[in-house]
Amino acid sequence: MRRDIYTALYAAVLGTVCALLLTAASVQLKPYQQANRKAERVRNILGVLDVPFDKKAPWAELEGVYRRNVRIDGNGANELYNRIDPEGEVLSVGVPLSGRGRNGPIQGFLALAPDMRTIRGITFYEHEETPGLGGEIENEQFRKKFIGKRIAGEGRIGIRITRPGGAAGDGQVDGITGATMTCRRVERMLNDRIGVIVAEAGHGG
Amino acid sequence: MADRPPACGPCLGACDGKGLATFQGGLLANNPISVQILGVCSALAVTNKLSNALVMGAALIFVCVGTNLLVSLLRKVTPRRIRMIAEVAIIATFVILVDQLLQAFYWDMSKRLGAYVGLIITNCIVMGRAEAFAMRNRPLVSVLDGVANGLGYAAVLGLIGFVRELGGNGTILGYPVLAAGPDGWYVKNLLLVGAPGAFLALGFLIAIANAIKPPAEEEMRP
Repeated sequence: MRRDIYTALYAAVLGTVCALLLTAASVQLKPYQQANRKAERVRNILGVLDVPFDKKAPWAELEGVYRRNVRIDGNGANELYNRIDPEGEVLSVGVPLSGRGRNGPIQGFLALAPDMRTIRGITFYEHEETPGLGGEIENEQFRKKFIGKRIAGEGRIGIRITRPGGAAGDGQVDGITGATMTCRRVERMLNDRIGVIVAEAGHGG
Repeated sequence: MADRPPACGPCLGACDGKGLATFQGGLLANNPISVQILGVCSALAVTNKLSNALVMGAALIFVCVGTNLLVSLLRKVTPRRIRMIAEVAIIATFVILVDQLLQAFYWDMSKRLGAYVGLIITNCIVMGRAEAFAMRNRPLVSVLDGVANGLGYAAVLGLIGFVRELGGNGTILGYPVLAAGPDGWYVKNLLLVGAPGAFLALGFLIAIANAIKPPAEEEMRP
């Protein structure tokens, strides 16, 4: 009996000490990690909008590029990250994506041409999908397949992510082998957003 | 463990006279990867670039040393029945700490290593050293054992990373060594960058290690 109590006490103390240590570390390191995440997000926005920038640039420089080239505008239900030239002309439009993946939340950006119909790029900057399978959504090979697709066409609104090798026609994109669930979730996330964009622009179909 | 290990001077016996043997064991004679074939998963996964391999090696050294120290310090008060759970809790603490530090100060590397830092928790080397060595030895020599095994792991990863990055990319730590690209003479060997290259490199490395020093058990077999 006394041994049992000792064992339980030992486990409780060890667990508490470990938890306290990790909590302290987490609290101390959080500001640095958040700064990294913010920079990562900005790099993704610049990347998807095709703004040239130095990937290894420090935050101050990155922020400067971001401020000069990206203007955040509202458009009804959409928050638009517009890439602008020095005269304020919109060159391309970034729309935030967010939704549920297979393993956790996915955050990304969709870049459209100023006509709001043609996809210029897509990126996912935060996800927890399985590396090598669902994680391949961040792979350029997959993301490039969306470029040039139109978000709505005859009788359809949205993009279909087909089984690998099954894509045919303008509104379809090849999925990733071994990542059917992730692709389905990405498709839903993308099309939810496309639905809102189309409704706002009023040019559906 | 038949012959007495050579006594070493500098630590004045604090290592119970097995400092040198412990160190050589972890690094060479009993190398966790090339002799014990442990921790192979990460050795294959993160070695397509030398820098990844080195950071992974450093992370493992940190975890192994920390775990061995704590497990050794606590070895007399740890109830036997839950000792392995206690070891895992300690290992997990150090691994999460490394992961958090990388995310804070080495973001790019953290993204490149991805899940493999977290997977150090399941790396048999760390658990194996805690259970086989730190549980029955004093703290100082346990730390030495952690350093030696971590270095042994890091050295193998570094070697594989060196071969794969040089052969697959023509670079070392990102610096061009063999002239690849449109104007260069070197044709990148994509096999080495991919997973098969990791298996090949590791296989040859283990073969070479065995050729130089045959494992003791096989010598004893008739």
